Amino acid sequence: MELTPTLIINQMLFGLALGAVYILMACGLTIIFGLLDVVNFAHGTFYMLGAFAAFVVVSLFGNFWIGLASAIILVGLIGWVAETFLIKPLYGKDPLYPLMLTFGLSLAVTDLMRGIFGTIGRIVPLPQVFSGSLMWEGIFIPKYRVFIIFLTLGVLIFLWYFFKKTNLGMIIRAATRDSLMVRTLGINVPRIWTFGFALGVGLAGLAGAVNSTIQSALPDMGVEITVECFVVVVIGGLGSLGGAILGGLIIGQVISFVSLLASDWSNVAIFITMLLILLVRTRGLFGEAGRL
Amino acid sequence: MKKSSWIIGSVFLFTLMLSGVASAKPIAALLFPLSGPFSAMGTDMKQGSEVALEEINAKGGVLGQKAEVVMGDDEFQAPIAIRKYKEMVDGQGIKAIGGTLSGGISVAVNEWACKNKVLYMCFCHSSIPLGKEQCGYGFVSGMIPYQTGVATAKYAFQNLGKSWMIITQDYRFGTDELAAWLTVSEKTGGKFLGNIYSPLGQVDYSAHIPKIAATNPEILVLNVYGQSLDAIIKQLAEAGLTNKKMKFVIPKSHLYAIKAVGATYNENFYGGHEYYWTLQEKFPKAKKFIEAYGKKYGMPPSQDADGGYTGTRALLEAMNAAKTTTDVAKLVKTLEGFKMDYNKGVEEFRACDHIRATSVVIVKGIGAKAKDWNFGEVVAEYPASETLESCENNKKDVPYGAVKLPGK
Repeated sequence: MELTPTLIINQMLFGLALGAVYILMACGLTIIFGLLDVVNFAHGTFYMLGAFAAFVVVSLFGNFWIGLASAIILVGLIGWVAETFLIKPLYGKDPLYPLMLTFGLSLAVTDLMRGIFGTIGRIVPLPQVFSGSLMWEGIFIPKYRVFIIFLTLGVLIFLWYFFKKTNLGMIIRAATRDSLMVRTLGINVPRIWTFGFALGVGLAGLAGAVNSTIQSALPDMGVEITVECFVVVVIGGLGSLGGAILGGLIIGQVISFVSLLASDWSNVAIFITMLLILLVRTRGLFGEAGRL
Repeated sequence: MKKSSWIIGSVFLFTLMLSGVASAKPIAALLFPLSGPFSAMGTDMKQGSEVALEEINAKGGVLGQKAEVVMGDDEFQAPIAIRKYKEMVDGQGIKAIGGTLSGGISVAVNEWACKNKVLYMCFCHSSIPLGKEQCGYGFVSGMIPYQTGVATAKYAFQNLGKSWMIITQDYRFGTDELAAWLTVSEKTGGKFLGNIYSPLGQVDYSAHIPKIAATNPEILVLNVYGQSLDAIIKQLAEAGLTNKKMKFVIPKSHLYAIKAVGATYNENFYGGHEYYWTLQEKFPKAKKFIEAYGKKYGMPPSQDADGGYTGTRALLEAMNAAKTTTDVAKLVKTLEGFKMDYNKGVEEFRACDHIRATSVVIVKGIGAKAKDWNFGEVVAEYPASETLESCENNKKDVPYGAVKLPGK
């Protein structure tokens, strides 16, 4: 097939939309790791819970926007509870413990959801306003993908403003650098950690809700994206939000163009990309900063 | 005697009684992918097996005893399936195994069954009757993947157009279907515009959409299964491609995928099915199965449920006919040429290659007119004689096994 400029631009746009979802996921994972030093293996499970939250709320109220907002809030609340009762008791112990716990949590919650919802895909209908594609001179992109790109942009602006300009955001940043100092200032640091965890998984929930309209909500849907999300975060550098954004953009484009040119390599390509980047920069692209 | 001793003694006796009930010896072990990307279909298959088992037991069981069959999850992984089968064969003396819902896994299980001289009844679309895979111990109650490929390709080139493009799930089932489409295309003047391999379990196909739109084939073949099928249909609809001229042909479609995408499965969609539940009008004997299944699970059986039902029922009936549950040689001999009249009229397991000789049904979508579980109309049925190669050809794995696949 001829590689025309139109096709290349199309492919870049689709890659950008793909990358946008990875960015949402990876930002959540980065916040959790940066703040708590917890490698959250249940991140994909919170993504799946977001998709089901959207499904349940949209089924009840018939409104996509309420579904989207509910996904962040409900999944954030679940994250709040999980951090308070399960992860918090493990702080200060071997880092392997929270890793094992989140892994176990992902298996248990997936099985629980399978028991409740079964294994048939659940539909979240695409809102009418987003059906169809935008066309211009042969270049096209589905309206919903444009929405995903702008939604992610909005979330990133919010995160930037929150972490740089608000008191709570600055406290979180300070706590990631020196939690003891923040504690001596009389700030309830464990509460900050809980909030950070809830925010991180809330973003995963939002990503799940966003994808629930273009994939079906299924208990197993979080497995593969967890691996891809870790690749994004490792490429960007653990703990770096800027790295998560750049990693998401790179992986989105890699998947998009490898799918076009050698589709059976699309899965492997992301790992090869990670390998190449790590060969050059072992800490990932922005790994040196190390923190939010 | 103290009160506590009585309690302990009673609990011990009760446990003994329970273990006595549970230890009724199982005669077969069935595994299904109850987790992973094919879990919905695996559950369906298991439910079909459960209905068959209940039916057999209601008629007196196997060899005058209530039949016990072990059922479990193969987690959609060949090593796990083989480990679990081995545990049941070695630990419980079972000599007949069945199930699985993946062409690739079925090939691995069949190889293991052959080495260990265990009868294997595969319930899915599988290539075990082909070439070197034929070993004498494997049977298939589904069909050979190329059959749905041949039937859907024949229908498509006769009725829908000539130019075609295909998205192929990159594993044994998908490549067998692709080989069938390429062969029929060459014979009937189809115009092949390209293939896209997709990794197993892929759920985001958006990166392929620009290529599909630029190629603009008359027919797009969605040669994928499981979660991938719902996802790709939704994403094609999202891009606005499903309401245009392009026709979509799915070699192996499924009720769940159609239900998951709802009205999107419109008149432009054509799916191949080994079984579709409205066939009960043509084959009234199927009504009993459909009623029993509907009563138990609240929906009609899909083709995977039919594969599970047919395979399990045939296996247990063969045990009754052979008067043994463990003599593998006798069971194999009984199943060779075994005649059944279950859900699709009189059928048989061909003696020469152990495949269930069954038809392929083409179901056209009806979009918003779909109601309850009725998602389509049967527009064609291709009998086994039109899709199944001769035993000699299957033994040599020709013509489809000889096809040069693009990019391979």
